[in-house]
Amino acid sequence: MEINQQGLFDRVAKIMELIERMQYKLSDEELEGLMNFLPPDSRHSLSAFFESRFRDTSIIFLKAISNWILRARIAPEQGKKAIIVPFNFPVEFIHGFSKAYPITSEVLSTLGVVALEGQGERYWDMAMGLGLPDHICSSNTIELGSMLGSVDFKPQAIVSAAPGGCDVNAKIHEFVSHYLDIPQYILQKPPDDSERGMEAYIKYTNTLISELEEFIGEELSEDRLRSVLGKANRCTELYYELWDLHKARPSPVPNIFSLYIYAIRFSIWGTDEAITALEAMVDLCKKRLEAKAYPAKEERARTLWVYTSYYFDFPNLFNWMEESGYSHLGDGLDLFFPQPVDLSSMDTMVEGLATAAWNMPMTRQVGGESMSRQWTEDVVHSARELNADCAIYCGHHSCKQTWSVVSILRKELMDRLGVPLLILQGDSWIRKMTPISVIQHEIEEFVNNVVSSKKKTKRKLRKRRQNNNQQQGE
Amino acid sequence: MKMEDVLEQAAVMQNEYLKKYKSDGGRVIGYACIATPVEIVEAAGMLPYRLRALGNNRTEIADAHLSRFNCSFCRSVLQLGLDGTYDFLDGLIETNGCDHIRGMFENWQYVNPSEFFHYVRVPHVMTEDSLEYFTNDLRLWSEALQKHFDVAISEDDLWSAIRQQDRIRAKLKKVTEMRERDEPAFTGTEVMAAFLLGTAMMSTDFEKVLDRLIEQRENHKITDIKARLLLGGSATDEVEFLEMIESQGGHISADNLCYGSRAFWGREAGESGDPYAVLAGMYLENLPCPRMFVEFPYRRDLMISSVERAKTDGVILVHNKFCDVHGVDNVQLRLALEKRGIPVLSLEKEYGATADLGRMKTRVQAFLERIAG
Repeated sequence: MEINQQGLFDRVAKIMELIERMQYKLSDEELEGLMNFLPPDSRHSLSAFFESRFRDTSIIFLKAISNWILRARIAPEQGKKAIIVPFNFPVEFIHGFSKAYPITSEVLSTLGVVALEGQGERYWDMAMGLGLPDHICSSNTIELGSMLGSVDFKPQAIVSAAPGGCDVNAKIHEFVSHYLDIPQYILQKPPDDSERGMEAYIKYTNTLISELEEFIGEELSEDRLRSVLGKANRCTELYYELWDLHKARPSPVPNIFSLYIYAIRFSIWGTDEAITALEAMVDLCKKRLEAKAYPAKEERARTLWVYTSYYFDFPNLFNWMEESGYSHLGDGLDLFFPQPVDLSSMDTMVEGLATAAWNMPMTRQVGGESMSRQWTEDVVHSARELNADCAIYCGHHSCKQTWSVVSILRKELMDRLGVPLLILQGDSWIRKMTPISVIQHEIEEFVNNVVSSKKKTKRKLRKRRQNNNQQQGE
Repeated sequence: MKMEDVLEQAAVMQNEYLKKYKSDGGRVIGYACIATPVEIVEAAGMLPYRLRALGNNRTEIADAHLSRFNCSFCRSVLQLGLDGTYDFLDGLIETNGCDHIRGMFENWQYVNPSEFFHYVRVPHVMTEDSLEYFTNDLRLWSEALQKHFDVAISEDDLWSAIRQQDRIRAKLKKVTEMRERDEPAFTGTEVMAAFLLGTAMMSTDFEKVLDRLIEQRENHKITDIKARLLLGGSATDEVEFLEMIESQGGHISADNLCYGSRAFWGREAGESGDPYAVLAGMYLENLPCPRMFVEFPYRRDLMISSVERAKTDGVILVHNKFCDVHGVDNVQLRLALEKRGIPVLSLEKEYGATADLGRMKTRVQAFLERIAG
């Protein structure tokens, strides 16, 4: 096989083998030695995980993710069906089957961008080579492009929860299903916030279960599902602990944890590894809270990213922001607000799965009856709860649904909370479109000219009011 | 009405018929997508008007709301919604045709809410459950229409509208058959103009226009054709665009456009039953639109059968920049057609961009030279 025909999954899995062998505690010298084995792009991106202030926790997280990848690789040998799912599908659904294993395309694309030399560009180009338009979404096209154009791990089916939430992802899933000649199972979201909409969604969920049972050749076991969802419930508790920790000023939650939370949600939610990683994150944040540890001199701005972040340069986004005093309070992909599942019967658990799918990011917001209403409500709620000073929209060019209504979100945020929204433009997974230096510059200008001056105006107003009160008192 | 009048009247937002209909007190309900059963509007005694932009390429008001990453057709329609062009509408029906069109409706309603606005939710997959959901949704729409306008829609009214539309569909099919002849009776441009006019008139009156056109053109023969084409792809109500293709010697003998034959092909109501269930089944089961996410084989087979029936020499697949559903579907279609030896030209364009016409013309000329033999 020619080297440039190697698929993304196989290459990522090789990097994951290294992580699997890594010790839980690494000194700076050991880390330096290890990183020297990696090519420049991989070394640069992966370095973001190993900042000394959260290195140990990152290693626990990375080992959990590498374990997920490596188990997917051997799944077919073990008689398990490897099923591609999108990020907006609750993976615990597939973990509930003993003979199936979920692989999330967006997580794989992101891992490819982070861990591979040349990032994911080769695979994007393979998809473009088929004539696919350049305005489709790199988040899943990078991984799916690898499946279409290289010698790579081949899944046995696709489950798509994109219809109703995202046209472009739904189309790519359909395309890949036909091109690779593998079955596609759909969970469509009615754009209907009423009880009738939820009833229909539960019906669709039940149909999907039946279809998957037939395909996998296994009836969904009540005991196994209860065990998986019990673990998912523990993940939910830990999610809200992290949510509460985010509220403190300065934020004790490292910026990159925003990403860890949803990486876990999209891949291993409902597993022991997810619980271990989330517990480690909570522990670290509690320690930081107690020690009032913050990597910059002061927390200059608390930013809420309203949809995705950028994933092609972690050190220069998450870590740079933190070191500049800009807290990343999470992004739109963290807004899945999980609810504890009632484990008392199969029916309640299936309903819990449907509710989880309904509340997955994107489905919950732009898959709603209105594309802007729930999105706005979630962002306003989060900005208020987490004391955000400002919001940032990454402007991933493929997100036509959010681009369609971001003007409404911006107006509502300003009208209701006085929180300004910075609208950026770029591709979240491809570094060529908007370089990270431009993104950094825009964030700095926004904080310096809009957020800080807004704070100063508030302070001046407060001072003036105090002076007036004093004068009146005299 | 003669063909010249059809061409003239189809090229304006409000044709003379519509103006008179409005001045006589008639009500007009706007809708955007071929998944909307217009029979319900007609059963309520109102005129269903398909939203269009007719090549309007001004989007400066719309661009303050939608983004440059949204398709320019939707931005053009939004522009007309916000600049007052569509103020003659008495109500608006949204359907979830695609993410761009949803955004278009949402911004329109956010900035300039219609007095009557209803959202018809069309499933993306055809199953028994989704058919039941859609049936109930049509019922809810009908109730909302009746309540707001204080009108009654009986089952008989609905059946009468369904049968009327069945007659229209049969006659539109006849027109397309005449276009497909070895020596066609219509150009593709003329047929598109007739289709467009039909979505801005009451069907009882449009039926008379169709009868007249069929009669006038029964023995008409178009010769000197360089190549026969099928035109397929995204929302294309730009008659000039078709005219440009045909001016190069191509004859659009068949189409797979949502302003064209995709809007009626295969739709035929049964004789009886719950009219809402009949409408839901007829529209959802015959929706060859790429916003249906598991039905590519149906769309592919429909296109191949059109190519064979109309004996076309090649296919032009067009999509507006940033149109995801057609952008991806056109690639699948191209691969499937080329596998069968059918030449394909894929065009990505900006909606209504006259500056783009020269580039398109060159590509069409080259394609025609390639396939004309």
